[in-house]
Amino acid sequence: MFSIHESELPGIGQKFQIITRSGDKLVIIIHDDGRREMYHFDHDDPEDSISMISLDDNEARQVAAILGGIIYKPKSLENIEVALDDMVIEWYKIEPGLPCIGKTIGEAQVRKTTGATIIAIIEKDHSKVINPGPERVINEGATIVVIGEKEQIKACKKLIKSGSV
Amino acid sequence: MEHIVLEIGFALALMAAAGLLASNLKFSIVPLLILVGMLVGPHAPHLGVIDFRFIASAPLIDFMGRLGVLFLLFYLGLEFSVSRLLKAGRTILTSGIIYMAINLTLGIGFPLYLGWPLRETLVAAGVTTISSSAIVAKMIVDLKRTANPDTEIILGLMMFQDVFVAVYLSIVSGIVLTGATSFGKVTGATLVALGFMLGLIIVGRKAVSVLNYLLDLPSDELFLLALFSLITLVAGFSETLHIAEAIGALLTGLVLAETRHVQRIERLVVPFRDFFGAIFFFSFGLSIDPLTLGGAVGPAIIAVILTLLGNFVAGLLSGRSAGLSLRASANIGLTITSRGEFSIILAKLAKQGGLLPFLQPFIALYVLILAILGPLLTKESKKISKLLSRFIKWEANSRAIHYDR
Repeated sequence: MFSIHESELPGIGQKFQIITRSGDKLVIIIHDDGRREMYHFDHDDPEDSISMISLDDNEARQVAAILGGIIYKPKSLENIEVALDDMVIEWYKIEPGLPCIGKTIGEAQVRKTTGATIIAIIEKDHSKVINPGPERVINEGATIVVIGEKEQIKACKKLIKSGSV
Repeated sequence: MEHIVLEIGFALALMAAAGLLASNLKFSIVPLLILVGMLVGPHAPHLGVIDFRFIASAPLIDFMGRLGVLFLLFYLGLEFSVSRLLKAGRTILTSGIIYMAINLTLGIGFPLYLGWPLRETLVAAGVTTISSSAIVAKMIVDLKRTANPDTEIILGLMMFQDVFVAVYLSIVSGIVLTGATSFGKVTGATLVALGFMLGLIIVGRKAVSVLNYLLDLPSDELFLLALFSLITLVAGFSETLHIAEAIGALLTGLVLAETRHVQRIERLVVPFRDFFGAIFFFSFGLSIDPLTLGGAVGPAIIAVILTLLGNFVAGLLSGRSAGLSLRASANIGLTITSRGEFSIILAKLAKQGGLLPFLQPFIALYVLILAILGPLLTKESKKISKLLSRFIKWEANSRAIHYDR
């Protein structure tokens, strides 16, 4: 069973103890000075840490980005989401054959029918458009970044994939 | 030597060398600072021109050491929060009570058995009961034990002791500094001390918005001046009421922790705490005449043994009641034995209050032994608990501690 326990270590920092579904125990300590430590505990002896790694703030953020799939998106996952309160940011690649290819954002009626908003488009050639207007055309191979509430995002995904909500 | 700046320069160089040695030996800096201080104190022998005794600069070093106490305790107040303690919950309360019941009883019983007077007994009990949270927390980080299940209990226990220190120190300083011996006077001094604490906390709570506004200073220079004047004024004022200045600084920290400037204060104060804190340990060493240590060896060693036993048993019981394994429980008892800053604050208090002179060498030896032995025991706790597990056996309880939020 997956669980996270958070507790305070006064004078040192914050402790997060994670038991993964596969039964591994991982403890992450965030020191007040920004240092992070990760301890991996022995399966059979939960009191002995087998390995530990110390990261500074910068390194920890890089590792977090890698673990979070922001740098490389695992193939088996459809999309990546970042949640801010109840808002969610997701991004999808426009695969060949999708009904929205060639339409403008306005024509696709993303906001009108789903409530979600396309906040950026990253084209195949890596050129970026921040806050694209309704006249912007959705091209094959581009990645669109969408923000909205969970339900809106869900509807938007359906719209992009199948052409209707 | 008569050139004060040069003398201070030598003193700092010696301290830096002690620190370097400590870090090379992977050892706590505290005992080395005290030792170096003792070696070059006014009682040290001098050979003709080569005279390392810090005489001209002694009052200055002493004063900087006092500032060290203020910063140490101010920072403690800043870091301390009642909500944290409450959140830690029953486990900590149980361990704290177990710890105090065992160790305070030993701490009071032993000096009384030796026939020491009341005030000396109270100081000695504080010295032997209160661990050094500075050394303990540093050891846990250095030995990479932050993730251990026993660490939460140890740190909780330190927090519990911090509350105890605040109350105990204010009461004892009231009694020691007023020279009260009769029952009525002791009660009076105690009430004044508690009243002062409560008063300052209540006034401080009301003043938070004013402090927020007053400390809204863009320049760090002004900010530091305002901050330090606040600390020294409150500390100095509390001394006029015969309450240890350290308590004044601690309370200032508690109050300022409620302001929105707390992070800036922490960031700015830490270097001063580290610098003057080191001078504090050194200046304590300076005040000890190594030749007087001889007479204190007996009581100091017995006190050390009692402390080790008391702490170990308290640690085992605390760990057990929290559902930890034998090894984790033994870890608790072996980690909390280090003594340091609080014991020395009490030693200085005893000197200020003119208590019997045998206390100083007793405390010096006691702190030295435990500041050296404590970290060693912590380091070797694995072997010790392995040895122990041959005689005692219990399994970790399945409800093992992690206090959920």
